[in-house]
Amino acid sequence: MSIGSSQALDTKINAPVAIATMPEPRQVKDTTERINALEVVVRYALYIVITLFLFTPFVMTVLSSFKTSAEVIAFPPTLLPSVWHPENYLNVLTQINGFPRMVFNSFFITFAAVALNLFFDSLVGYAFARLEFPYKNTLFAIMIATMVIPGFVFIVPRYILLLNAHLVNTYGALLVLYFLQPGYILLMTQFFKSIPRDLEEAAIVDGMGWFGIFWKIILPLARPALLATGILTFAGMWNGFFDWLIYMQDATMFNIQLGLTTFRSVYQNQWDLIMAGSVLAILPILLVYLVGQRYFVRGIATTGMK
Amino acid sequence: MAVSVAPQAPAATAKGSRRSKRGGMAIAERRAGLLFVTPYLIYFLILQLGALIFAFWVSFHHYDLLALDNPFVGLRNYVRLPANQDFLIAMRNTTEYAVVVVILQTVFALLLAVLLDSKIKGRNFFRSTWYTPSIASSVVISMIFLYVYHPTGLLNSILGLVGIHTTEAYLESTTWALPAIMFLNIWTTAPTFMLMFLAALQDIPKEIYEASAVDGASAVRKLFSITIPLLRPIIFLVVSLGIIGTFQVFDQMFIMTSGGPLKATLSVALLIYDNLFKDTGTVGVACAEAIVLGLVIFALTLISRRVIDTRIEY
Repeated sequence: MSIGSSQALDTKINAPVAIATMPEPRQVKDTTERINALEVVVRYALYIVITLFLFTPFVMTVLSSFKTSAEVIAFPPTLLPSVWHPENYLNVLTQINGFPRMVFNSFFITFAAVALNLFFDSLVGYAFARLEFPYKNTLFAIMIATMVIPGFVFIVPRYILLLNAHLVNTYGALLVLYFLQPGYILLMTQFFKSIPRDLEEAAIVDGMGWFGIFWKIILPLARPALLATGILTFAGMWNGFFDWLIYMQDATMFNIQLGLTTFRSVYQNQWDLIMAGSVLAILPILLVYLVGQRYFVRGIATTGMK
Repeated sequence: MAVSVAPQAPAATAKGSRRSKRGGMAIAERRAGLLFVTPYLIYFLILQLGALIFAFWVSFHHYDLLALDNPFVGLRNYVRLPANQDFLIAMRNTTEYAVVVVILQTVFALLLAVLLDSKIKGRNFFRSTWYTPSIASSVVISMIFLYVYHPTGLLNSILGLVGIHTTEAYLESTTWALPAIMFLNIWTTAPTFMLMFLAALQDIPKEIYEASAVDGASAVRKLFSITIPLLRPIIFLVVSLGIIGTFQVFDQMFIMTSGGPLKATLSVALLIYDNLFKDTGTVGVACAEAIVLGLVIFALTLISRRVIDTRIEY
């Protein structure tokens, strides 16, 4: 669910700092270095403990995905599979009903939403950042204010609305709800404000229209912000569960997340398939994260959205 | 194209003609601006404002998705909530859950960020690894923790290694089910907030720390008298995002426990879902519950702002 979002942040701190520039006494230097060496050891020990704490469940899930169902929860437990079963992954595709279709649905909605958000979030963001039009500031304030309304308030009315529009159980339901996202409009607005105006002014003198300026001059400069918006939208849509649960009724319209949940609610003991399915469900988003980490981090730091 | 709409009526001089040209451009700009912003305007009018008004309207009716006639019942859906046992249980569970998770995940996220905010080797590797719980979907996290909490799953295996032998079925125990889901959520959400804290920490001028190092302040002292006070705005943000998220917790309960055992993990969000899709004639009730939940979240966000006090003092 992507409910939480945040207001514009300004974490910049302009501190009037008195900097003391006293030279360090020489004789102390030896002990500080020894303390630092000890500190480094303690630090690394702590890092490793935390890494184990946060990462072990993933490692064990990957290892479990190669075990038989019985071995996943065997007592006494095993670390490595006694026999490796890579065919578990093949079985996910054949034994979980309609799995290939769910993979397609996940990718289709994810890519469609990314494309729509790249266009609309930047278009609206550009208008807020650069163009003068009536009620601009009011509308911008409204956008920020409505971002903090908890999503659950909207669930019933939106469901009834989409039901009456005959969009329930179609891709249309999710595309209507996510064709733009205020959090990423905000991200784009902030980025556009940081681009110098010179290029646009030259284009205005040349008689270029506003859409031309947006499309040909501004967008190519906005690559970092577009990547952040695209990657975070990808993550949000790929990981989506709640909206699919509400709006999709036929198994042919499920995504991987909903399909996996439905499968596990029927076959609670098929640990091999549940584990392999989970690995498959996390793989695309993991790849996107590894490739686009920089933008991921920047986007989260500026919007507080995931 | 009409020209003389520029804010100040231009004098009819050479300068004036340049002004009126700018006036023409201002109209073009205004048109472009309105056109570009239209997608959001539609989104706002239908999916936000319209939806909000409709939510209130539905909450004043006995509403059924299939019925042709939905009679007006005034405030009945609200007035009956305090006598609704399920709602009370759900509200208590959700509040308990939210308080524990918000506090612990904020503290844990801050700890992670402070640890990473150094020039130590391998910092990027640790940051990437620590963030992994936050990129996985709620479904995948739930699947993983179904395995972790299984009577012979990962948790009890690890406990066995340190000599604690138990086959406790955590998710089937009225004592452990809610804390188990709390733990899972702290584990999966803290890394997101870690990134936000980390970004804020990197904006703190290093001179402040250098000055205090000269004064001989210890690391713990620095954390409490410099870092945390300076981070108050971001702490407020993390706490309010935490409140918004935890009070609407749904996925993990729905997937792992269906609100059980004996409603021990029934959350308000889960109750709203049940009222909407499982019971009949309770759509209006679901709406009233969602609006009350929204108001609770709003009130708590305001209170937390008071408590944290986002002013920065030196």
